[in-house]
Amino acid sequence: MAKLPVDVPELVKQFGPTLNRVPAGGWVGSEEQDRMVKTHCCFCGQQCGIQLRVRNNKVVGWEPWEDFPFNLGKLCPKGVKRYMQDEHPDRLKHPLQRVAGKGFEPISWDAALSRVVSEIQRIQKTYGNDAFAVLTGASLTNEKAYLLGKFARVALRTANIDYNGRLCMVSAGAASKKVFGIDRSANPWSDLPKAKVILAAGANIAECAPITTDYLWQARENGGKLIILDPRLTPIARNADLYIPVRSGGDIGVFNGMLHIMIERGWIDRDFIAQHTTGFEQVAEAVKKYTPEYSARIAGVPAEMIVRAAEMWGPAPTSFLLHSRGIEHHSKGVDNCIAAINLVVASGRIGREGCGYAMITGQGNGQGAREQGQKCDQLPGARDIENPEHRKYIAGVWGVPEESIPGKGLSAVPLMEAIHDGKIKGLLSICFNPTVSLPDANYVRAALEKLEFYVNIEFFLSETAQYADVVLAGSLMEEDEGTTTSVEGRVIHHRKVVSPPGEAREDWKIVCDIARRLGHGDKFNYSSPHDIFEELRVASKGGVSDYYGITWEAIDNNYGMFWPCPEIGHPGTPRLYEGGKFGHPDGKAHFLPIEWRPSAEMPDDEYPIILTTGRVVSQFLSGTQTRRIGGLMDQYPQPLCEMHPRLAEKVGVKDGDFVKVESRRGSVVVHAQVVKTIRPDTVFIPYHWPLDRSANNLTIRAIDPVSNIPEFKICAVRVSKTEQPTDPIAKLEVQAGGIR
Amino acid sequence: MDGLKPINLSPRGSDTAHSLAWGLIAAAALIVGIVVGSRGLKDFDPALISYAGATVFSAFGLGYRYAMWLRRPPTRLYWFRGWQIFLIPKRLPGNIARLVRIFWNNVVLQRFIERRSKTRWTAHWFLAWGCLIAAAVTFPLSFGWIRFETAADNQQIYRAFVFGIHVASFPLDSIMAPLAFNILDICAVMVLIGVFVAMWRRGRDRGAMSVQQFSNDLLPLVLLFAISVTGLFLTASTHLMRGLYYVFLSQLHAVTVIFTLLYLPFGKFFHIFQRPAQLGIDFYKRAGEEGGQAQCIRCGQPFATQLQIGDLKAVQSALCIQYAMRDGTHYQDVCPACRRKNLALTQDALWRTPEAELQRFDRF
Amino acid sequence: MSERAFYIDYSRCIGCQSCVQACAECDTHRGVSLIHLETIQRRESVQTAPQVCMHCEDPICARVCPADAIKKTPDGVVQSSLKPRCIGCSNCVLACPFGVPRYQVEIDQMMKCDYCYDRTSVDKKPMCATVCPSGALTFATAEEIQRSRRGIAINSWKFGNEVVKTKVFVIVPREVERVNVELVQISPTPSALSDDPYDVALMLESVE
Repeated sequence: MAKLPVDVPELVKQFGPTLNRVPAGGWVGSEEQDRMVKTHCCFCGQQCGIQLRVRNNKVVGWEPWEDFPFNLGKLCPKGVKRYMQDEHPDRLKHPLQRVAGKGFEPISWDAALSRVVSEIQRIQKTYGNDAFAVLTGASLTNEKAYLLGKFARVALRTANIDYNGRLCMVSAGAASKKVFGIDRSANPWSDLPKAKVILAAGANIAECAPITTDYLWQARENGGKLIILDPRLTPIARNADLYIPVRSGGDIGVFNGMLHIMIERGWIDRDFIAQHTTGFEQVAEAVKKYTPEYSARIAGVPAEMIVRAAEMWGPAPTSFLLHSRGIEHHSKGVDNCIAAINLVVASGRIGREGCGYAMITGQGNGQGAREQGQKCDQLPGARDIENPEHRKYIAGVWGVPEESIPGKGLSAVPLMEAIHDGKIKGLLSICFNPTVSLPDANYVRAALEKLEFYVNIEFFLSETAQYADVVLAGSLMEEDEGTTTSVEGRVIHHRKVVSPPGEAREDWKIVCDIARRLGHGDKFNYSSPHDIFEELRVASKGGVSDYYGITWEAIDNNYGMFWPCPEIGHPGTPRLYEGGKFGHPDGKAHFLPIEWRPSAEMPDDEYPIILTTGRVVSQFLSGTQTRRIGGLMDQYPQPLCEMHPRLAEKVGVKDGDFVKVESRRGSVVVHAQVVKTIRPDTVFIPYHWPLDRSANNLTIRAIDPVSNIPEFKICAVRVSKTEQPTDPIAKLEVQAGGIR
Repeated sequence: MDGLKPINLSPRGSDTAHSLAWGLIAAAALIVGIVVGSRGLKDFDPALISYAGATVFSAFGLGYRYAMWLRRPPTRLYWFRGWQIFLIPKRLPGNIARLVRIFWNNVVLQRFIERRSKTRWTAHWFLAWGCLIAAAVTFPLSFGWIRFETAADNQQIYRAFVFGIHVASFPLDSIMAPLAFNILDICAVMVLIGVFVAMWRRGRDRGAMSVQQFSNDLLPLVLLFAISVTGLFLTASTHLMRGLYYVFLSQLHAVTVIFTLLYLPFGKFFHIFQRPAQLGIDFYKRAGEEGGQAQCIRCGQPFATQLQIGDLKAVQSALCIQYAMRDGTHYQDVCPACRRKNLALTQDALWRTPEAELQRFDRF
Repeated sequence: MSERAFYIDYSRCIGCQSCVQACAECDTHRGVSLIHLETIQRRESVQTAPQVCMHCEDPICARVCPADAIKKTPDGVVQSSLKPRCIGCSNCVLACPFGVPRYQVEIDQMMKCDYCYDRTSVDKKPMCATVCPSGALTFATAEEIQRSRRGIAINSWKFGNEVVKTKVFVIVPREVERVNVELVQISPTPSALSDDPYDVALMLESVE
């Protein structure tokens, strides 16, 4: 019965989001006796070091952690105001259960867990094990990610576990794996300033990975040139040496076009290709037709731009490729990434100082959370769930028969479709707010309503948790201990800063409790996250992402450790592929020919405009945390629809007007922001807001066939001027989905 | 505001000579006041002469410093503009009514400090009123302007004289008597409360700790503490210890008071005399609002009153600040936000010249 | 005070507002943000402009203050107005060539960036320059700047005929000796002008 118990305004009244503007204890200065805890920001894959300031078991402020080498004290606004999520009035402090017509009421842990367990057992008994699914998140620690993967396979024996990294890193990961054999950024960030040319594709670095900015500027100070591909002129693009306003979905035009020119002009490393790669001939053949003119038509930019990019990238002595969601969030996301990576491999500039490649992970533990076995197709150590060898090894670690481990399950979007189709009847979710973050949000909400039982582990009542039958009060990052793996592949230590408030519990304890009540206590007999990490190390041993040699002690002593780290005492591997040794069994990089194909939904007469979505710097993902922090909401209170003055003129819209943006799937009403810094055929709406302000009401449920990433970056819409909406949702505060 | 006469911001003569003269005038006026007010020194208590002497010196210092302050062009402008606006005949009645109101809020209640910080306000309110009431009693006493005596016909009746004129009588067992005798002790307690709250705040607030200076922020508190404590000791000596060490204590008290009087014109306490000038700003701002708004020459938006921008330009030329731009515009006509934008645009443009680009590639 | 100094490179700014958020964490004015971050003209560009107090050698704000409320510390930091003196007239707000002081209506007083005096006086970096992700605001030694920046750091400005020297440095190309400030306008054009540097439509013109 996963329906909203009362209407949204009533739930918002009870559980927020409300804005926290004042720290615990008020705006008072620091005090001598304050305790400082060195830890990391919980938002985004950069995982900046920060020290939280604690007084009386309350986080009251922070201090920079200037020694941490990645960010050297730097923080984006989210990091600065992150501590305002602590001591928050909306914080869930005890388990809740849905009461139709009333909302949610507190219940005891015993009652809550009994209900969860009996519902799991009922559903699995009635409909089969796979009818109960688990959805998790990429902002969880490695320990929790590992635990949840094991929980699904061992305690629930369901194939259907997937995570919201599916909306984030999977295209990049799949492409990396295909070409290089390893799914990880190839270089530490310290290589960036040494690169003489940097190509950043689909990466709004200033807003989504702000700390990387200084690395790019430093490269420029050193004489390096910067090429940016983005349909929007972002703050980084403003200072780029070459900005290519590529049409969303047209990136392959630029990449293949560049490679075409590089081959033509001899700007490829033939020796490297011969010694360290396979498949170049097919690629050379494939890009033959990608003349600058043909490529330009695909990319929607002048051909000279592509030529210029090749001229900058081709002969450079050192180079670095960065990409992120802009090219990955496509139904051809993997192909986009491979086409980009082909440029790196063809140049031979990888695996040495100043030469490399990185994908910019978006989520808190975007890297680590995808390695520990909570993906529908993976086991710990980034092992393949279909590979008998891999299954056997993990079965050994877990002490279960190999055949008891289920096979490959459904990934996030098909899993939601299976819920909608009534094939999956029960759901446990944690760290995932799909009503805001999955495409086609109306469909997602309809799907959730069909669940027979839904339990959600949360610290705030997210828009998705509102659909739950039981909500278990879990922990914030700073209320538990564990590790994450940052954008660089650096495994770092999140220290416990304070205890969960009230009756709230550490997430791992909740999961272990459920497992115990399901009769699998012997497999979940951990006394701390450290115990889990110790098992994770062993589980990852010999896998691609080998953590075996990484201990918490080594992490603390070395400002983090880079995997692979196969044995104790191993220094870790900051830079992959040194000496041209790649991750495939043959030790080579595998070129793959890529052909451009249209996106799932191209603009037409009815819906003539391209919609692309993304982030703003002050918000993180679905906003469950950041829409509750006053300072961050003030910075960018409500979503705006960015459009070029030419488009605005065509549709009769002025800056600040209310506009209705409609796709075949839904609509939003937001304010227009008329700017010249976007392609005239494209509009942009950030996706952090819920309900009628959710950009994902519009996006399409198309996914990449390999990575299953949804196509967030392009769908067809129309835009028209409208009046200020006055419905009850519109009247909510902006952080709850209202509009002003 | 039309029709306000320009103010001469660069008066002739030496600032020092001018200010010395005002200092002397203030001191002389006080001496005359003491002589006349004490009916030719008839009511003057010679025991208090050191207090009166220090006060005369203080008056000289205050006169000197105030005059010096008013020689500064911006102060001078606001001072005279304030009076000009206040005294415009048809505004005068309204202005007086308003003055009473602001006086109540800003001087009596000190609301503006409350808005800055409650602790600060608590400390300041007790300090200020402790001191002001004490001053209102002790200065006239030491000048011989007030005196008390027992009624000749009744030992139980006390009589108060101001400038030699009998103004009140009260019986010793009335509520007035202990109040009158102990008013200074009450003040001392108020001051001590203020001192403690202030010290507590300064000892806790890291921000305050980092910017405070001993001579400016702590010395005044130390002085007030010393005066209050020695004063209270005097009372204690009289009532509880039968006059033990009374002479020594009274001398110690005198030393603290005299030192404070000498410090008055030059340290933090000068703000007591400076601060009331703030009341004029309110009238200035209101008068400015009634006049036109100055519009920024870059963005076209109003950003200040024309009155203030005009006056500021006058002040700047008196200070030799040369904001006239090459193109005939005046930098003072650019609003602060546009100045900030303009700076970034200027610096950014420096980087977008061909030379700057070449330089960048030279390092390539 | 340390040998480190404050450097601004406006062109690096990405407008993320970390500085704005972090400024309110400074102990001398916790809860109040005093730094400025301007979005120059969003319609035309994404350019933004941070502004801290430049701490002039002979601060104009102090010279035009009628209440004598703005003081410089011996190490050259121009402080927020002295609370007992400031009368809230806004002369400093209007006269500062860098547009720095803020008039705080609620408390009827001027406050401004004070170089995070609680931090810099004990050799810590100011809040904004610590967190700034772009390095637009940096607190470093001269040697570090020389090593890491292609430009040079200068501290001389000219507004009209007024030459101003500041404690805070700005990074400029090597041949520049002084920043001569003239008015730079971005005119809000209804349709794109050919010299509009950030109009994406113009960049694409040749494909249409």
